Amino acid sequence: MRRLLLTAAATTAAALTLAACGTTEPAADSAKGKTSEAISLTDSTGAKVELDGPAKKVVATEWNEVESLITLGVDPVGVADVKGYKTWDTAVPLKNEPKDIGTRGEPSMDTIASLSPDLIVASSDLPDAAVKQLRRIAPVLEIKSADASDQIGQMFKNLDLIAKATGTTDRAKTAREDFEAKVAEGKKALADAKLDGASIAFADGYVTSNQVSVRPYTSGSLLGAVNEELGLKNAWKVKGDPVYGLGTTDVEGLTALPEDTRFAYIGNDGDKASTPFTGALAKNAVWTSLPFVKAGEVHRLPDGIWMFGGPGSMEAYIDSLVDALTK
Amino acid sequence: MAVTEAPPATRPPAAASRAGAAAVTAGLALLVAVLAVVDVTQGTAAVGPAQVFKALTGRADPSDASVVIASRLPRMTAGILVGVVLGIAGAVLQAVSRNVLASPDTLAVNAGSYLALGLVGATGVSLPLLASSGVAFAGGLLAAAVVLALSGLGTGTVRLVLAGTALALGLNSVTEGLLLLFPQQTEGLYQWNQGSIGQNGFDGVLQLLPVALAGLAGLLLVARRVDALALGDDAARGLGVPVHATRVTVVVLAALLSAAAVTLAGPIGFVGLCAPALVRPLARRFRGFVRARAALPAAGLTGAAVVLGSDVLLRALIPADTAVAVPTGIVTSLVGAVFLVVTALRLRDTAGADAPDRLRVPSRTAFLVTVAVLVAVVVGVTLAGVLLGDSKLLLGDVANWAQGRAGRTVSFVLDTRVPRVLAALCAGAALALAGTLVQAVTRNPLAEPGVLGVSGGAALGAVLLVTTVPAAGSWGIAGAAFGGAALASAVVFGLAARGGYRQHRLVLVGIGMAAGSTALISLLIVLTDPFNATKALTWLSGSTYGRTMADVLPVALVLALGLAVAVARRTELDLVSLDEDTPRLLGLGLPRARLGFLVVGVLLAATAVASAGTIGFVGLVAPHAARALVGRRHARVVPVAVLLGAALVCAADLLGRTVIAPAQLGAGLMTAIIGTPYFLRLLVRGRGAARS
Repeated sequence: MRRLLLTAAATTAAALTLAACGTTEPAADSAKGKTSEAISLTDSTGAKVELDGPAKKVVATEWNEVESLITLGVDPVGVADVKGYKTWDTAVPLKNEPKDIGTRGEPSMDTIASLSPDLIVASSDLPDAAVKQLRRIAPVLEIKSADASDQIGQMFKNLDLIAKATGTTDRAKTAREDFEAKVAEGKKALADAKLDGASIAFADGYVTSNQVSVRPYTSGSLLGAVNEELGLKNAWKVKGDPVYGLGTTDVEGLTALPEDTRFAYIGNDGDKASTPFTGALAKNAVWTSLPFVKAGEVHRLPDGIWMFGGPGSMEAYIDSLVDALTK
Repeated sequence: MAVTEAPPATRPPAAASRAGAAAVTAGLALLVAVLAVVDVTQGTAAVGPAQVFKALTGRADPSDASVVIASRLPRMTAGILVGVVLGIAGAVLQAVSRNVLASPDTLAVNAGSYLALGLVGATGVSLPLLASSGVAFAGGLLAAAVVLALSGLGTGTVRLVLAGTALALGLNSVTEGLLLLFPQQTEGLYQWNQGSIGQNGFDGVLQLLPVALAGLAGLLLVARRVDALALGDDAARGLGVPVHATRVTVVVLAALLSAAAVTLAGPIGFVGLCAPALVRPLARRFRGFVRARAALPAAGLTGAAVVLGSDVLLRALIPADTAVAVPTGIVTSLVGAVFLVVTALRLRDTAGADAPDRLRVPSRTAFLVTVAVLVAVVVGVTLAGVLLGDSKLLLGDVANWAQGRAGRTVSFVLDTRVPRVLAALCAGAALALAGTLVQAVTRNPLAEPGVLGVSGGAALGAVLLVTTVPAAGSWGIAGAAFGGAALASAVVFGLAARGGYRQHRLVLVGIGMAAGSTALISLLIVLTDPFNATKALTWLSGSTYGRTMADVLPVALVLALGLAVAVARRTELDLVSLDEDTPRLLGLGLPRARLGFLVVGVLLAATAVASAGTIGFVGLVAPHAARALVGRRHARVVPVAVLLGAALVCAADLLGRTVIAPAQLGAGLMTAIIGTPYFLRLLVRGRGAARS
């Protein structure tokens, strides 16, 4: 033990003396002057954000923010869990190779600082202490990821905020118009197919060991809100949480859905546990005896539509849902 | 030796008692049947008693019938199966080790199975159920073998539980690390770890039923030998029973049973510990239960009643949709925790403190050299902690920063990194000191804030505050943590104080408290904010993420206070840790001295939890290692333990931040991964010393 300690101490000391002298960055000297196009705005938490000009180098911690940035034509320099984004959000793919800043829950301060961004778009789900630290790297635009009372409104509020900070308000306006056009188009297609007012249940699910859990998207969820915009009726009676509007149930809970329900889900081929409806449940008697399963009204929408994304994902969702229901 | 067994029963007339045992078993079976019937009528679908009755008589409409057949009945059967095998596994393990604390939980069988399944999950291979059961069996058996090999079969309760809980902690941390490293592949494994008896059809139950039956049949075959073992090793040998072979057979079969339960429903905590303990008082009244062949079925039925009862209770109390999200394992853990505490109080615990370890007393020079080396290590680790990270810095940067003339990036990196390093150092030192104080006061080698549930209570208090008042500040969190820790320790020490901190009682009550608070934290998160657990979990895994200087302040102040007390009262600490009588002879107010040290220890543990989350092992390892290095005198133990603790947590934090950067692992996981092998090595060496 003692020898171990001695060696450890000696090695650390040697390594430090050999390697640790000098600096990686010159000492600071000058203060920057303010430019004329300074931007001032208020973020989702009511905090004032001051920018010298439209942000160009932007880091985003949550995927819906990344998606909004790409929609606005601003390629983020840092993104949390790049691999996960590429797996789950192919509707609005990354156009560049941003630096991975760590996990969405605990992005690495060091990595973000080393990117020296102009702006950090952070989720309000981050711990307050972490946001406080981020503010010292660069101005932080804190974004409320979701709000079950008005998901679509929240989505555009976020898009507009990010657009203001990056000087891309024109793009945000176009995105909103595109989304509204897409909704109108989808609504008309559904009405033409006499699906106006049809009841829909969207869910995702997970399989672990021999257990299947189902996560209903109630009318408080973003997809639920989009469904209602399309003139569909949300079939779930389960209560959703106040932020994302998601509920929890199991297979037998599906029996509570009305008989004429159309069931839609999104899984992921990169994640086998996320597709119970065609896999683990295929032979389950409760599942196979559900009226909408018998009627062939179970629709798997394409992978890569991020259920908590921005207008881009929602447009892809509308296209694929209308496609699936009217086929 | 374990002397916590039930006292010998008085002998009622034999014939009547056998009938009594049969009647009690029948009563238990009836209870299980009633619970099963109630369980079948509960669930998320609108299928109540009337529909179930119709379905069973074949007159229901097909959709109701399918719910009963593919969801309700499998769940009920799984509940019974899991309860029965865990109850029986616990009962035989306790019988062959003559140890009331032996169970699949304390032998690390569950943790071993979980890690094995996690490893398979991380490789992305998806195995059929039976094969994954085989993997779980191998993992569980391996873990149990390590624990038994280290603790020695049937020698001493403390060492067994020590090795078992230590290994379980370490293995679980490795598994949690895997979950963080391979989130995609192991998605859902975490939730599964809470344990749930819900089933997707009968397939799982049918596949594992033969495994369980084989295990049970094997155990009934060796039941006579198990009975003989109860008489003691020598007596059993005298009767011609192969003692060693019997023990190995029983442990293998019990591991097989636990593995079957784990693959079917995840680890359902504490059933293996509770069920046999519930049956034990019966053996006093009904002589028939003294025989394993009668006691095992009773333990199995009790296990089934515990599992089903928890499920029924949960679904009766909470709306169906929420109940789905609350795993059965949380409820059994809560029930089991309360039960453990109650049993611990009723136990006749005659085991006093172990004889102090025989340790050489090193010279003063050796002590000074040790301290000097440790100081060097702490300084080295601190410097490394400050310089290394996602962006590597050099000493010149630090010098610039200290003089306030560093560039933007460097000053930011150091502004966020230095508080984390300090939080790790202070939390490590505080936990080590807390462990030293608590071990001295209770004279119990197992006593540690984590094991005794003090850290758990602190975490529960802090999580309660964080979930209800999102904008809580550092002092608020530290205060809430202290409130929780104070409450937990008041319960643990208060209950165990009767009879002067008897070893087993204190540890039993503590483990119960720790398990209960963990279960309550999970429950709280599931019920309040199911999709944003990060805020609470970030620092529950023992993380220094996002810590600022303000968060470090409470623990730094309390650490200074604690060190002052420990230094000023070092002689009293020595006396208190010696035995019951010496302090009294010397006129020392024992209860008051104990209370004072305990309060300081709890304060230290609580502020450490508030600043760096629940970090296990440090409070256990640091004092042990310090005593091994410099002997028993607290004037020497305290500084060495404190330095060791600081170095350990700081190194763990550094590794956690850098190994998989930019993602990170909590320091708590890393301390367990570093701490477990060291701790097990200590145990092995201790055993060698005891023999020689």
